[in-house]
Amino acid sequence: MKKLFRAAAVAAVTALALTACGGGGSSDPSNVSPTGEIKAREISWLLSRPADGAVINIMKKLADEYAKDHPGFELKLITTPDRPSYIQKLETLAAANKLPELFDTDATPFAQQLAKQGKMVDAEKLLKSLDVYDDYRPSALDYQRFDDGSLNMIPFQFELEFVWYNKALLQKAGVSVPKSLDDIPAMCTALRDAGITPIAIDGQDQWPLERYVAYQPFREAGPDFIQKLKKGEAKFSDPAGQKTVEWLAALGKAKCFQDGFSSQGYSDAQNQFTSGQAAMYNIGTWELPSLATDKLNPAVREDIDFFTLPTTAGSVTAANEFVSPSGIGMAVNSKTYDPLVSDFLKFALKRYPAEYAATGALSPTTNVETALPANAAPLYKKALEKANDLGGKQAMPWDTQLDPTTNGRLQQELVLLVQGNITPEQFTSTMDSTIAQNAPKFFK
Amino acid sequence: MLPNRSRLSVLVFLLPPLLLYCVAVLFPIVQSLFLSFFSWNGISDMEFVGLANYVRMLTADDIFWRSFFNALGYLAICLVLQLGGALLVASLLTSMRRGRELIKTLYLLPAVISTVAIAFLFVRIYSIEPVGLLNQLLHWIGLGALERPWLSDINTVLTAVSAPEGWRFTGLYMLIIYAALLSVPQELEEAARLDGASRWQLFTKIRFPHIMPVWITTTIMATTYGLRGFDIPYLMTNGGPGQSSELLTTYMYKTAFSSTDFGYASTIAVFIVVECLVAVGLILFLLKRKADA
Repeated sequence: MKKLFRAAAVAAVTALALTACGGGGSSDPSNVSPTGEIKAREISWLLSRPADGAVINIMKKLADEYAKDHPGFELKLITTPDRPSYIQKLETLAAANKLPELFDTDATPFAQQLAKQGKMVDAEKLLKSLDVYDDYRPSALDYQRFDDGSLNMIPFQFELEFVWYNKALLQKAGVSVPKSLDDIPAMCTALRDAGITPIAIDGQDQWPLERYVAYQPFREAGPDFIQKLKKGEAKFSDPAGQKTVEWLAALGKAKCFQDGFSSQGYSDAQNQFTSGQAAMYNIGTWELPSLATDKLNPAVREDIDFFTLPTTAGSVTAANEFVSPSGIGMAVNSKTYDPLVSDFLKFALKRYPAEYAATGALSPTTNVETALPANAAPLYKKALEKANDLGGKQAMPWDTQLDPTTNGRLQQELVLLVQGNITPEQFTSTMDSTIAQNAPKFFK
Repeated sequence: MLPNRSRLSVLVFLLPPLLLYCVAVLFPIVQSLFLSFFSWNGISDMEFVGLANYVRMLTADDIFWRSFFNALGYLAICLVLQLGGALLVASLLTSMRRGRELIKTLYLLPAVISTVAIAFLFVRIYSIEPVGLLNQLLHWIGLGALERPWLSDINTVLTAVSAPEGWRFTGLYMLIIYAALLSVPQELEEAARLDGASRWQLFTKIRFPHIMPVWITTTIMATTYGLRGFDIPYLMTNGGPGQSSELLTTYMYKTAFSSTDFGYASTIAVFIVVECLVAVGLILFLLKRKADA
């Protein structure tokens, strides 16, 4: 029966979509300053952020302040922090043409289709009309852009991804911080020989392992490689592709990740690192409150440090260029965009950066300074300072770039490759044929 | 034969549930059938592709066949644990004098625990870093060589995700079969015993034939439940590693809601409906032939 229910769900989506197609024309996505009276009402923001995180808390506070002057206004925040569930929710609502006033999305091929259909307000024009465009870090906006350079999402965060490591464990195994990505497999072997888990990784959520596939091509061929690969214009069988496939197989062979990593979650990986069992942990500045404050386990507190993504011999990108995402962005639904939504965004976006920086996080804008929390370790400041010294290019996470079917297959095949269940040749041919089959549908 | 007025009232009372059934079950099946001839990602225009989705499913999709055979393996393990386990426990229960109620309750307990809790429980049991219950037990009894990450090993993962589903409903089927075993006439068994029948003969010649109708029903129930298995594998491994624990249902779900390929997902849905009907037909046919023989 459950299959039937699932079939019913698909049918329901169809029915909804068919009825929705009949009504409701979309407005002009480039009209960012709608005229008319501001009529206070309830608006919704469908988002995928931690329920008690800084973004939600600040936006709630700002909405409450706005409601004081606009009785009847309310911002309803509907959050689904689990990203795969969120994406399913978003795509189903989009299919039913029932997207709320504001919704979160990465610059995925699916989002680009929505933008092409005029369902999202032009964010570049919107930010310019609010006179805040120049406040944003260019790389924070670039992260949100589609391939054609258009901007439809507004960032609320700015993060840097580092490899955190335990100095004492590296010393025990007689290894130093890797100078090149190619040093890592040998480093893992030495750590394993000393009885240490080299890298703790959250395998369950799949994106952490997918980060690793992006590194070698970013160093070897620059940010263009994934842009071409996703459209089928570049292949895994190309030199840059082969380099990453071979490297991942080598990481697997050297047993870089903890045993049974594919069924371990986010907190499992973090615990392994913070309890001093694993030597390295690849995560972004969103974890600063747990890695660089007095909340960190005292037993490892003095031993923790970080390094940025190593380069390689002949690397075309610089050491200060790595993964620096501005998080999932917020899109504005053009169909429901009216003077109220416009006025609220004007109010909120101008005040948001100062509030956000006060929480100890990096703002996507440069007009505010991040306040160090009272319990911060010196490492906290060191991590924040890296944001002032970034190069012009950034490594994009591949899960935001590939079409959803290819992305799903890549996540599955990566586990098999790293576990040694398939050979690099099998991986290459499976992925190249998957891209050839699915990319044309999304990148016509 | 009912008088005319009664027949009319029977029809009047039967019609609403029939309509409800059509709206909730038949309509979606027909909708899926309709959608399966289209290529549609939810936001693009629907494009009629004829039988292309079926051709792709049957001839060009390696994951589909992988999930189909995985689903059969999953079904086999569930059936052995559920029906075999249930029959064994129920038979033992009938020969117990004391503590029957306690045993029954204990066996039924897993059926009332939420699926999510069961999935998390078993993820912990199978874990190797930190070491879980199963690996710890193996270590204690000197079978340390068998310790492994059960959910990450492509050779063990399918069994590992099937076992919780089988374990979970063993108690339920045990209860049904136990009730049927209690209804076997005592005189018959006594007469057979006087004629010198062994315990095994007693079971195969008297008890089992007597509970046959109930056995058929439980087999059909367990089979259809097994074919629709989704939640535990989805929660524990999401079909991984690779496609090692991917079932048709999880694959269909991902195709629809991750790949947004609603047309192709409907094609898989149609296949699952046909597969369930064929399975039930096959069971009825085989068991009926056995009963007639």
